Amino acid sequence: MSQSIVLANIFHRPMRSLATILAVGLEVALILTIVGLTQGIVMDSAKRIEGIGADIILRPPGASFLMATSAAPMPIKISEALYAVKGVRYVTPVLTELNSQGGLDLIYGIDLPSFNEVSSGFIFRSGSEFQDPMDVIIDDIYAHSRKLKIGDHVTFLNHSFKVCGIVEHGKGSRIYLPIQTMQNLMGVVGRASLMYIKCHSKQDVPEVTKKLKELLPGYTVLRTEEFVSQMSSAINDMAALRYFINLVTFIAALVGFFVIFLAMYTTITERTREIGILKSLGASKGYVLAVFMKEALSLCLLGFLFGILLSFGGELLIRKIFPSLQIVLGLEWIFKAAVIAVVSASLGAFYPAIRAAAQDPIDALAYEV
Amino acid sequence: MKVILEAIDLTKVYKVGKIEVPALKGVSLKVREGEFISIMGPSGCGKSTLLHTLGGLCQPTSGKIIIDGEEISSARDAVRTDIRRRKIGFVFQRFNLLPTLTAKGNLEIAREIYGNGRDDKDHIHQILTLLGLENKVRHKPSELSGGEQQRVAIARAIINKPSILLADEPTGNLDTENSQVVLAMLQELNRKFNQTIMMITHNPEAAAVANRLIEMRDGKIVPHEHDVSWDAAKEDKIYI
Ligand SMILES: Nc1ncnc2c1ncn2[C@@H]1O[C@H](COP(=O)(O)OP(=O)(O)OP(=O)(O)O)[C@@H](O)[C@H]1O
Ligand SMILES: [Mg+2]
Repeated sequence: MSQSIVLANIFHRPMRSLATILAVGLEVALILTIVGLTQGIVMDSAKRIEGIGADIILRPPGASFLMATSAAPMPIKISEALYAVKGVRYVTPVLTELNSQGGLDLIYGIDLPSFNEVSSGFIFRSGSEFQDPMDVIIDDIYAHSRKLKIGDHVTFLNHSFKVCGIVEHGKGSRIYLPIQTMQNLMGVVGRASLMYIKCHSKQDVPEVTKKLKELLPGYTVLRTEEFVSQMSSAINDMAALRYFINLVTFIAALVGFFVIFLAMYTTITERTREIGILKSLGASKGYVLAVFMKEALSLCLLGFLFGILLSFGGELLIRKIFPSLQIVLGLEWIFKAAVIAVVSASLGAFYPAIRAAAQDPIDALAYEV
Repeated sequence: MKVILEAIDLTKVYKVGKIEVPALKGVSLKVREGEFISIMGPSGCGKSTLLHTLGGLCQPTSGKIIIDGEEISSARDAVRTDIRRRKIGFVFQRFNLLPTLTAKGNLEIAREIYGNGRDDKDHIHQILTLLGLENKVRHKPSELSGGEQQRVAIARAIINKPSILLADEPTGNLDTENSQVVLAMLQELNRKFNQTIMMITHNPEAAAVANRLIEMRDGKIVPHEHDVSWDAAKEDKIYI
């Protein structure tokens, strides 16, 4: 089948082809950026959780994967029982809360001495540990993106905190408050959202995990690697997030559908006589259909490639503007975006192409533009 | 000589809303291999309709058409398309080249639709030379004169060696000079390649290059002294 007529068609109306390619590119970039952002956020927090260096993560029943606060945080008291388990070296309770002050960061309420034990200590860029209940430790990325220095005041949980220390990023959160302060403010005295547990050695981990499961039925006991790998797929577990991604994807696909539909519809109207010519040469319906489907899919392919470029460009830009945000452009979603683009383009092109194929040759030849 | 096309009692009625417009009212004819036939007749007498029906671009209301042994008249659309692809070449008054493709591209797409593996380079070259198009293959239709465009259209129509070339007023949009060139070329195709041609024309001089004339009036063929095939009884008479 002639590539040449397909290409000639595309180049015949360069502006229209370009506009179609741009629109499909935007469709693809929109999908990749939104998905990349949400995955980036999840991956980023997963990486930071890994960075704490705990072996096991313990969460009360009903906790969600992204670790927003659960309705009934667990009592800190159980950490005593945890220490009694053979193989457990350190336990540190953490209370978590979504930072409503913009961003999707979790605020960590930490017990600094035990948190240091589990995580082998913060690396301070400036300042030092909590001196006052209303002190906050932030990481360097947060400090940089908010232009915060030691001694500055920031509002969390509707209260003003003083920045006492800026630490190297990568240990669970970007914002750390004293756990008692946070418990008081949230009205959950003596409770935590999760426990990070460090074992004496890696060999102890399976045994400890097993014991903890027996000890705390209903609780989620996961090795950190398990936790992190499950977290990456956690997007699918979050109904709201999934709904949001589906919605964005659907709208993007709709844009692709209509853009291709319009482009192909005007194309076949404009080329009605050419369809008649092809038919007079003996071109079958399938041939005519294929000519226009190929044109649509070529535009779609070019649009897809442009969309990939746009996504990577967008990623660089976002990294520059919001250093704390991360976009993960996985192959899986690049592939999915390609499928979505191709399917929406095929559907958009199908009706115009079918119409073209079904044209009566004599009517088509008599058509005046 | 072999009969390459036979039409038996063709009628064609167009429906415009509820009004019926009879365009063909019982046309029978035989075309033999190597004939060059011109069709004349007043405007609206059904010449184009006849050609379109014979070439399978539309279906007759009744009657039968047999092209090179295949019945095309009652065939499904897909089958008619297939017969058209293999056996018919069309040339129109309006040239009807694909405007986005070069002359060569127009020829290639005809080859492609025809779909015969290897290109017969000799044949293509011969046709291009005959039509004086060797230097024009890279031009787009908009860069060619009307005469040149029509020659490309003729080349495209015969490139797959159709059983019959159907031309609807091929010189209708050309000046006298270009008309003569195109007519001379059709004549040469007929002589050199024994190409069977049916050509509609309004111009008696154009009609004169053919070796047989069919006159139409009001949807019918006018009985003609020289037209043997009109009368089955005269079937065996020799004629050029
Ligand atoms: N698609 C159509 N729908 C309705 N009527 C048609 C259609 N095509 C042709 N006709 C009618 O059929 C009759 C024959 O038309 P046709 O085009 O075959 O004439 P023609 O001999 O080719 O005329 P001309 O010399 O002007 O090209 C005319 O009366 C015409 O109006
Ligand atoms: Mg006509």
